[in-house]
Amino acid sequence: MSILVIAEHDNATLKAGTRNTLSAALKLGITADILVAGYNCQPAARAAASLAGVNKVKVADAAHLADGFAENLASLVVSIAAGYSYILAPASTYGKNFMPRVAALLDVAQISEISAVVDANTFVRPIYAGNALATVESKDAVKVITVRTTSFDAAGDGGSAAIENVLSPADLGCTTLVERELSVSERPELGAAKIVVSGGRGLGNGENYQRVLAPLADKLGAALGASRAAVDAGFVPNDYQVGQTGKIVAPQLYIAVGISGAIQHLAGMKESKVIVAINKDADAPIFQVADYGLVGDLFELVPQLTAAL
Amino acid sequence: MSMKILVPIKRVVDYNVKIRVKADNSAVELDNVKMSMNPFDEIAVEEAVRLKEAGVAVEVVVVTCGIAAAQDILRSALALGADRAILVEVDVAQSETLQPLAVAKLLKALVGQEQPGLVICGKQAIDDDANQTGQMLAALQGWPQATFASKVVIADGKATVTREVDGGLETLAVTLPAVISTDLRLNEPRYATLPNIMKAKKKPLNILTAASLGVDVAPRLITRSVNEPPKRTAGIRVGDVAQLVDKLKNEPKII
Amino acid sequence: MTVYVAPVKDLMFVLEEVAGLDEVAALPGCEEVGIELVSAVLEEASRLAEEVIAPLNKISDQQGATCANYEVKTSPGFKDAYKQFADGGWIGLTCDPEFGGQGLPHLLSIPVGEIWNSACTAFALCPMLTSGAIEALSHHASDDLKARYLPKMISGEWTGTMNLTEPNAGSDLAAVRTRAVPANDGSNAYLISGTKIFITYGEHDYTDNIIHLVLARLPDAPAGVKGISLFVVPKFLLNSDGSAGARNDAKCVSIEHKMGIHGSPTAVMAFGEETGAVGHLVGEANRGLEYMFTMMNNARLSVGLEGVGIAERAYQQTLSYAMERIQGRVAGREGTLPIAYHPDVRRMLMSMRSQTEAMRALVLVAAASLDKAARCADAGERKRHQARIDLLIPVAKGWCSEQANEIAYTAVQVHGGMGYIEETGVAQYQRDARITTIYEGTTGIQANDLMGRKVARDGGAAANALILEMVATAVQAQGVTELTSMGDGLAGGVADLKAATDWIVENYVSNTASTLLGSVHYLKLFGTVAGAWLLVRSSIAAQARLVAGNGDAAFCRQKIGTTRFYIDQVLPLTASLLLMLKRGTSSLDAADLALS
Repeated sequence: MSILVIAEHDNATLKAGTRNTLSAALKLGITADILVAGYNCQPAARAAASLAGVNKVKVADAAHLADGFAENLASLVVSIAAGYSYILAPASTYGKNFMPRVAALLDVAQISEISAVVDANTFVRPIYAGNALATVESKDAVKVITVRTTSFDAAGDGGSAAIENVLSPADLGCTTLVERELSVSERPELGAAKIVVSGGRGLGNGENYQRVLAPLADKLGAALGASRAAVDAGFVPNDYQVGQTGKIVAPQLYIAVGISGAIQHLAGMKESKVIVAINKDADAPIFQVADYGLVGDLFELVPQLTAAL
Repeated sequence: MSMKILVPIKRVVDYNVKIRVKADNSAVELDNVKMSMNPFDEIAVEEAVRLKEAGVAVEVVVVTCGIAAAQDILRSALALGADRAILVEVDVAQSETLQPLAVAKLLKALVGQEQPGLVICGKQAIDDDANQTGQMLAALQGWPQATFASKVVIADGKATVTREVDGGLETLAVTLPAVISTDLRLNEPRYATLPNIMKAKKKPLNILTAASLGVDVAPRLITRSVNEPPKRTAGIRVGDVAQLVDKLKNEPKII
Repeated sequence: MTVYVAPVKDLMFVLEEVAGLDEVAALPGCEEVGIELVSAVLEEASRLAEEVIAPLNKISDQQGATCANYEVKTSPGFKDAYKQFADGGWIGLTCDPEFGGQGLPHLLSIPVGEIWNSACTAFALCPMLTSGAIEALSHHASDDLKARYLPKMISGEWTGTMNLTEPNAGSDLAAVRTRAVPANDGSNAYLISGTKIFITYGEHDYTDNIIHLVLARLPDAPAGVKGISLFVVPKFLLNSDGSAGARNDAKCVSIEHKMGIHGSPTAVMAFGEETGAVGHLVGEANRGLEYMFTMMNNARLSVGLEGVGIAERAYQQTLSYAMERIQGRVAGREGTLPIAYHPDVRRMLMSMRSQTEAMRALVLVAAASLDKAARCADAGERKRHQARIDLLIPVAKGWCSEQANEIAYTAVQVHGGMGYIEETGVAQYQRDARITTIYEGTTGIQANDLMGRKVARDGGAAANALILEMVATAVQAQGVTELTSMGDGLAGGVADLKAATDWIVENYVSNTASTLLGSVHYLKLFGTVAGAWLLVRSSIAAQARLVAGNGDAAFCRQKIGTTRFYIDQVLPLTASLLLMLKRGTSSLDAADLALS
């Protein structure tokens, strides 16, 4: 039962979700191989080799893999797929992009965004934005799986796996990168942060959002998130959105400020360990999921909280 | 350019319906539940119609794979401006187990018939949240893809697509034909106008069967059970910030 | 605030099973109208209503229209929503295809109208008034006026108003004093001068022109109702190419501060304060009031419809609150349950729901009659349906608006103290509903019309024809095992209606005043029984669907439950209404004694 995990990385370092994906893989077998595909990605490969439970790191280092295009990536994965019973990747926009291509080329189903492993063939995955959990059994010989990283612990360090280069198929040449605008932030990545401070329409505008929430996030070392209403109102960029159509987060602590708690928002954060809600509307649905609810004016309460921590 | 755009759409439980799991835990209750076009697919239809209005495309063909009742979402798409519709009809039992790989194969067969220059689909359906069909179709066709699109420009035989990726935006240029999947902010779908609802009645809607397309739609995944997620219960109300800080520092020991 | 979800399932059920969608679809000019089209239209209207219009309802209550310097600023979001509404072609639903309309029947515009009214009554009023003005021009204006005004009104590019009421001419329009004199400038124009009040959407910021229809007297006109003419007076005069040109002397001098429908600007209009407002005669001189009356049925049905719309929204919000709010222990049940499980709250919820569904069915059945009266190929059939619609209109208007007030009252009651606080938004329904029993003829005027013109005048012929149909429904229900007691209940209610009708026919001429004392009782009795009749018909259809195993079983069972509740808890009112009606002579005497 050999297992292949596709690492998500930026050539220099591994993205946090790779560790969680590995830990999901290790529920299916004792060790797993990791594929690091990129360009000048040896540092990332070394990082992968040091993870506990890794058997072997396969490295495909080629210029045409630099930007992680789904077409080239899928053809690479398919070229080394023989012998693997499981192929896993994080259910990030990276993994979601190329893994279905791998599955289609192997003529197998993809099992999307699993949140638990039941047995060798059976997995739990959220459907309907997490409002139901389906337990599904795969009949395919190869299981192509994406992993909801928030549902699995991060795999630890301590490994020293061998690193092996693999050849990558030729560039398919159908895609070119025009531009990449990644939000630069000192804060932790929203999807992987231990603490998330999230703001909603109650903040009124983007200026208030920053003025009220940034000091609190700074104090806690938290990532900043937002409801769809706040994103649609232009307070913050799209990639701040937590919810059914945005990011699914499950931090240790989620502080919802001025968020009423539409069902679509709850779908994105209700797996958080502890939820704190601050809202002036005592009937806001967010209080139905909050461990600690504080009713009042966020413009007074949040600065008080920041000062008190 | 005289391009045809194919837009695959899906009939799903309406976005606003709070779903219920069936008592026997076999599936989510679909009987007598309001069904609508998948919201991401509405965005796909809108984008295709805008490309036609901009003169980039000449025809927008919408297709769905499902039961006869799914014609209603095809009519909705026609009312939004699509020109022609195709229903690949399956029976109720098949529709309950119709999975992305099978749909991608059905679509591949249709792409063979229709020869579109572009396929635009929703990034995922809000029922099974699979997020696979567009990518699978692209792979089966050997086409490039641009998923999670928030902006699409078609020019010079290429699609330049801005994608919503973790941590920001990425703009790709892909050669055509290609598959584009839509994210939430690509556009805001219009509301159908009354005259267009009337006209939609007269637009062609062809019905095919999966068998006639030579595709095996047997499922690869068997659903063993469907359950409600563990319910989160409301905690306590704290009176002031001091009390909140006390709780956070002591009870869960998070801070 | 809770979301509004249009009751498309119930609307479709009533259209198919009770209102006779298939019969209307068979009328000349209705060939397009099938279940598929109607359902598509309702679904798309629902989307616009639920997503764009309904969210504006509460804010329009809090931030109503404002007026300064003869200009009106509408509530936040209204202008954009109106543009989407007009661009959607919804105003032209029933209008003449020659001028850009869709020519669809009232049986489609009425359910769509319910959806607009539930979403936001204050918003729905503007297109409703425009439709009235379009109808008046379509029926009575010259081809030239039609060509100039109708396309832009039907497309929603311009809106329309109805200028009837004056400070001293409210329910009694014979007292209209606004004057029209020939302009004597070589054109066929008139100069209008006078003040009109209560002009719904008389001024707003939606469009670049507003077309006022104004009742006024010509210099040589006979006194009273036979001396009133109808004029079309645009806010901006039309250029020769038909576009809006110079400002006309027709101004909004203020808007009223009202109890409800704050989003709807109710204008005081001053015509001809300076040079005289330029207008053109619609149709013939001195026939203005008669023209207004040709549209009266539609306008009154529309107000009944407002009642249905408000009642539905109030019910939805109340149900959702009652399912969430937890207070106290429920008698006979374990654990904590929301207040919806308290027997008294269940009674209130079902009183709201069963009456709303009855009202909806009545309005839809009336709409079908409107279509048949206008479109049946056979003249005798048209006449028969006209008699039916003339009979049903005062009932639909009067009863639905009265019950909407009761339902809105109950909505606040279920909310308890929270309902009395504006934050929950439920008080708005009570304030918004309040006008519906007043405008387009008060309940008293509807009741007098019903009793005098619609029942006594033809010796009860039209009423008895309807009563016979009700009896047939009762007999049919008695023949279905599951519905027997429902049939018995209906039979009892119909017997009261028959007795009341016979009593009126017998006494109206000889004893008019004391009969009229109970006219509102009769109207309510009529509405209550008509509602029962249509709910029982719904249940017969629902039972048939259950037996055949087609359709939505849960919905069908709910329909039967709703009917049973109505028969048990609403219909028995008829006995006391009949009793009060018959005590007219004694009560009038008592009133004379007390008020002397």
